[in-house]
Amino acid sequence: MADLQKLYDAVLNGDQKSAVSITKEALDEGCDPMELITKYMVPAMDEVGRRFECEEYFVPELLLSARAMKGALELLRPLLAASGAQPAGRVVIGTVKGDLHDIGKNLVASMLEGGGFEVIDLGADVAPERFIEAVQEKKADIVALSALLTVTMPAMRRTIEAFEKAGIRDRVKVMVGGAPVTPQFAREIGADGYGENATAAVALARQFVQAAHP
Amino acid sequence: MTGKERILRRIRHEPVDRLPLMPITMMFAADFAGVRYGDYARDHPVLAKAQLAVAQRFGFDHVSAISDPARETADLGGAIEWFEDQPPAIIESRAVLHEKSVLDRLPLPDPLRPGSRMKDRVDGVALLAREAGSELLVEGWVEGPCALGADLRGLNTLMLDFIDDPPFVEALFDYCVRLETEFARAQIDAGAGIIGIGDAAASLVGPRIYERFVLPFEKKLVAAIHEAGAPVRLHICGNTRKIARGMGETGAEIVDLDFLTPMAEARAAMPEPQVLLGNIDPVRVLRDSTPDGVAAALEECWRAAAPSYIAGPGCEVPRGTPHDNMDAMTRFAQSRQ
Repeated sequence: MADLQKLYDAVLNGDQKSAVSITKEALDEGCDPMELITKYMVPAMDEVGRRFECEEYFVPELLLSARAMKGALELLRPLLAASGAQPAGRVVIGTVKGDLHDIGKNLVASMLEGGGFEVIDLGADVAPERFIEAVQEKKADIVALSALLTVTMPAMRRTIEAFEKAGIRDRVKVMVGGAPVTPQFAREIGADGYGENATAAVALARQFVQAAHP
Repeated sequence: MTGKERILRRIRHEPVDRLPLMPITMMFAADFAGVRYGDYARDHPVLAKAQLAVAQRFGFDHVSAISDPARETADLGGAIEWFEDQPPAIIESRAVLHEKSVLDRLPLPDPLRPGSRMKDRVDGVALLAREAGSELLVEGWVEGPCALGADLRGLNTLMLDFIDDPPFVEALFDYCVRLETEFARAQIDAGAGIIGIGDAAASLVGPRIYERFVLPFEKKLVAAIHEAGAPVRLHICGNTRKIARGMGETGAEIVDLDFLTPMAEARAAMPEPQVLLGNIDPVRVLRDSTPDGVAAALEECWRAAAPSYIAGPGCEVPRGTPHDNMDAMTRFAQSRQ
């Protein structure tokens, strides 16, 4: 029998090779893919988030854990899709138009994925139209907008305004974050929430989903 | 006492008439001078004119040639995205060192090559020195080893390289130090009286990686700049609480802190006589607060760090900062020693 605690450890320690091999072994033995995610990988990434927040882990460790998790998820995704299993929610994420700084966005995307969300990562420097297309195509529940520069923060407002014009604003929750972004700014531009860091973003996304499906 | 004397006396721990004031201004300076930031970053006479104007209006003790992190990378053929009115950015998906093996054949760029972006900064330093070098301290600027490493390799990739391939990271940082030593030397020769090292990526890595990989190369760069004849201001944007002790070991005369590290904590990690600079919140306090709020926040920093202290915000003065708030910062500096 595969020792599934080792899957938790492999994700927590950023050991991609072990995460993949244990996942393979578990699947060969007939383990439920959803159980691997919810009982081992999500708790491991929650612990990664906790360690990141209390400054035991830093960006390299978080990215390493995310890579281990993604390695295992690659094996699980096709099986989940075939079984019709639903993610915790669907999040479209990207840095706003004009902002090429994506490491914060990548941390949030990884933690959301580790939290059981399906993440549609549009990358950096994303125009409002691309967010709108992705929301419509993927039937997203949440849009996460990132900006590192004060000068690109207005693009967050323009993106939300474009959602209104496109008639999709009421269909999605919008969360914003990034070094210069404040809760006050989030309120001013009509966002639904602000995440100070990657773990806060996951908590916020969970709140949104729970409120929509109590 | 001129601004230049004020800063130099502070870092020599000699008496000053008032607190030196050294805020980083880039987009704020361009806006103040009524020029677009794309031109500011491209064209050194535009930068120099704006720096001189903003320093004069707000009573700064220095002028700076800092503009964006992409100069070195651009001269190495890196892909850069330009914007009309914001800083150019490096396109990470087309990083110079997308393949690690490229490092072995990467040349050291000549900072004096005509038409290059590094030469434009050197020329900017020379112009600032000609126009104001007797009164104000002229600050040149280079990327730190971790920042330039991230510029060349891609920030996301470098973070994993620390664990996957330590010898590569060391070879990369060694290259970065050699490149930036030459760039700093060219700026010092052109009249820079101090060199700023920006090493923002170092705030992401935590103390273990910082001390193992980054600090040794920051020390080398600081020592090389000293040998070339200038003092150093080390600026690491972001949360540096866990690496502050190491920052105090680099040998930099001025450690310039971002707002996420409480000044009292920084002072405990970097005891006197280390000169500390900063570190009010640039957005929430300097831009969005009131003149009284700015003065109160600076008072707190000063109390925690004085006497070896220089006033300024934690990072760049944001675009749109009210002039009244800037005046409050200047008045504070003029009222303390």
